[in-house]
Amino acid sequence: MATGMTMSDATLLRRLSTLLVARSGCPRRMRLFSSYIVRGATFEPPDVSHLADSARISLAPGEVEDFGPKIRQVIDWFGQLQAVDLESVEPSVRADAEVSMYKREDTPETFENREAIIRVAPSYDDPYIKVPKVLSKE
Amino acid sequence: MPPPPVRSPSRLLLCHCRLPFHISPQTRLPLSHNSSVRRRFHCSAVSAVSALSSDPQIAPTDLTTTPPSSHILSIRESLLSRRRTAADVAGEYLDRLRRTEPHIRSFLHVSETTMREAEEVDRLVASGKDLGPLAGVLVGVKDNICTAGMPSTGGSRILEGYRPPFDATAVRKLKEAGAIVIGKTNMDEFGMGSTTEGSGFQVTANPWDISRVPGGSSGGSAAAVSAKQCVVSLGSDTGGSVRQPASFCGVVGLKPTYGRVSRFGLMAYASSLDVIGCFGASVIDSAIVLNVVSGHDRFDSTSSTHEVPDYASFLMSTDHFESTPLKGLKVGMIRETIGDGVDVGVISSIKAAALHLEELGATITEVSLPSFSLGLPAYYVLASSEASSNLSRYDGVRYGNRATVDELNSLYGDSRADGLGPEVKMRILMGTYALSAGYYDAYYKRAQQVRTLIRKSFKDALEKMDILVSPAVPSPAYKIGEKVNDPLAMYAGDIMTVNVNLAGLPALVVPCGFVEGGSAGLPVGLQMIGSSFSEEKLLRIGHIFEQTLPNYRFVPPLL
Repeated sequence: MATGMTMSDATLLRRLSTLLVARSGCPRRMRLFSSYIVRGATFEPPDVSHLADSARISLAPGEVEDFGPKIRQVIDWFGQLQAVDLESVEPSVRADAEVSMYKREDTPETFENREAIIRVAPSYDDPYIKVPKVLSKE
Repeated sequence: MPPPPVRSPSRLLLCHCRLPFHISPQTRLPLSHNSSVRRRFHCSAVSAVSALSSDPQIAPTDLTTTPPSSHILSIRESLLSRRRTAADVAGEYLDRLRRTEPHIRSFLHVSETTMREAEEVDRLVASGKDLGPLAGVLVGVKDNICTAGMPSTGGSRILEGYRPPFDATAVRKLKEAGAIVIGKTNMDEFGMGSTTEGSGFQVTANPWDISRVPGGSSGGSAAAVSAKQCVVSLGSDTGGSVRQPASFCGVVGLKPTYGRVSRFGLMAYASSLDVIGCFGASVIDSAIVLNVVSGHDRFDSTSSTHEVPDYASFLMSTDHFESTPLKGLKVGMIRETIGDGVDVGVISSIKAAALHLEELGATITEVSLPSFSLGLPAYYVLASSEASSNLSRYDGVRYGNRATVDELNSLYGDSRADGLGPEVKMRILMGTYALSAGYYDAYYKRAQQVRTLIRKSFKDALEKMDILVSPAVPSPAYKIGEKVNDPLAMYAGDIMTVNVNLAGLPALVVPCGFVEGGSAGLPVGLQMIGSSFSEEKLLRIGHIFEQTLPNYRFVPPLL
C-alpha cells in the first residue's frame, strides 16, 4: 500500500490495471500500480470535447468516442499520485538542483536567414503572414 | 544463458573484417589468469579495420570473440593513410542503406548531397589540413532535430515538407567536426511512443527480426546504426527513447546528463526531461560523438557550463587491461527491475552481465529505490503536461501544414486535427486536463514532488554505489502491432527508463546478451546509470564491459 494511505481514508479502493507486460507465453504479470480515490478528492472525469476545445484540436465525433475511455483510463491511473504522502516534499521544477547563472546579453540579433523563415510560411504577403479572418464567437 | 546467435556465411557481409596482422584472440589470456593481461588496445592498433572494408581478399577471422571496434577511428585511419577515400566510405554506406531500406525503412529522408560532401572531405585530406574528429563519418539524425535545408518533420504530418532555416546546435557541431549527415531517421511523432509505430509516415522494422519493432521513439536512429546504414546517429531521450531502442536493436545507446548537450534545435516534447543522445556500434564511438556535441550553448539556457572532458581519451589511454580492471567498483543492481513482470530471459541476461562485471572485479549489491514505481505515472503527467504546452506552436500559421478554412479558430483546430496523430492528440488532451484550473495541484505539482523523491532516492543510492544497473526494458522487442491499442501497456514498458529522466542522470545501454526470438535471437541491453555528469565513468565501465564480453556478436542477420 502506498505510504500515508490508511484504509479509513479510502472510500473506494480499486485495483485498476494489472497489466500483462511480458510477451505472450510468459505468464508473469506486472502489478505496477493500483488506483485509489481518496474521499473528498474525486475529480470530474475528463470531458474530452471540452479539452479538445481548450487545446484547439477539432476532434471528429468518432475520435471523441475512441479517445474518451483511453484518456479516462490513463487519468485514473494518474490518480495513484493522490495516494502518496507528499507533505513537506518540495516540488522539483527540473532535474538538477543548480540553476545556471549564465545569462546572455539582452541585445537583439538579426537572424541571418530570414528568407528561409519566410519561405516556410504557408501564406505570406510581405510583411504579413496571412491567416483567415476571425469570426466573432457568440 | 541463452545460446549465442547462429552465424551463417551470408551474414559475414555485415560482420567485422580484420587484417591478418591484428592481435588475434589467441594472444588474449583468460581473465581468470592471475598475471595481468596485456592486450594491445584494438583502436590504438592501427591495423584494426572495420566492416567497411570491401576488399574481398580479406577473410573474416574468428568471429566468436572479436569485440566491437571503433568505426570512427577506422575511417579516420583509412583516410589519413590514404588507403580509402571518403567517397569510398560514403558510397559503401549509401549502397548498404539503399539495399536494406526496403526492409527496415529507418529513414524519412536521405540526403542528396552525401557524395558531394564526401568529396569535400577528400579535398581536405589531399590539402593536408587538419581533419575534424568526425571527418567522413556518416551520421543519421533523428527527425525531431533540425537540419538546415533538410526536411525535419518530427515524425509528424503537421510538419511534412518543413525545412528548417537553421541547424540544431548538436548538428552544427557534428558538421563542424567533419561529419556528413546521411539522412533523417524515423521516429514516433514528436517523441511520443515506444515503438516508432507512432510515426506519421512509416513503420521501421527491427533489423534483428523485421516482424518486430526497433523500439522508440528513436527507433529509426537505432535501426540505422544496427543495420550499418550509418556509422553513428543522434536520437533524443525524454523517457527512454534512446535507451530502449538501443536495447531492442543491439547497439550502444547513450543518454547524457540533462543539460550536457544543447537542446537548441531539438523539437521540444517535455522541456524538463528532453535530452539529445546518441547511438553507436561501440562505446568508443558513442564517446567520440558525445565529445563533439556536448557543451554550453548560449541558445539553450538549460545547457550546462560544466566542463567537457575528452570522453574518448579515458578509453584510449589505457593500452592494457589488468585482469580485474573494475576492481573496487561498487555496482548496485536495482531490485525493482529484476522481479515480477520482467521477462525471464531478460533477467537472466542481466544477471549474467552482473556476473561478468564481478569477474572484472566489481562488487554487485542489490539496492532498492523507494518510490520507484511512482516514477511512471509522474513521468506521464509531467511529459503530457509539458507537451500540451510545447505543441501548441503547431497551429498551421507560420510553418507546417495548414488546413484550408475560412475562419481562424478552425485554422488552428483543423490544422492540428489533420496533422497530429492519435497518440499525440491524446497526450495533449491529458496534459490539458492535468494543467487545468483546479487540477494543477493534484497532478502536475504532485508529479513534481514525486520527482523530488526520485531524485533523492537515486542520490542516496549513488552515494553508496558507483553506478546502478538494470535492464533497459522489461522485455525484448515487441511484435509490430502488439502494443498499438493499449496505451497503458505501452507506457508500462518505460518503467526502467523514466526515473532516470526525472532525475536528469546520465545512462548508458550496452548490449549484453540475447533472448530467444527471430532467427538469431533478440538483443538485450544492460543499462548503467551514474550520477550527474559522470559520463566518463559510465563510458569507461561500459567500454571495459563491452570489450571483454565473451561469445556475443551484435550483428543482425542479413536481410
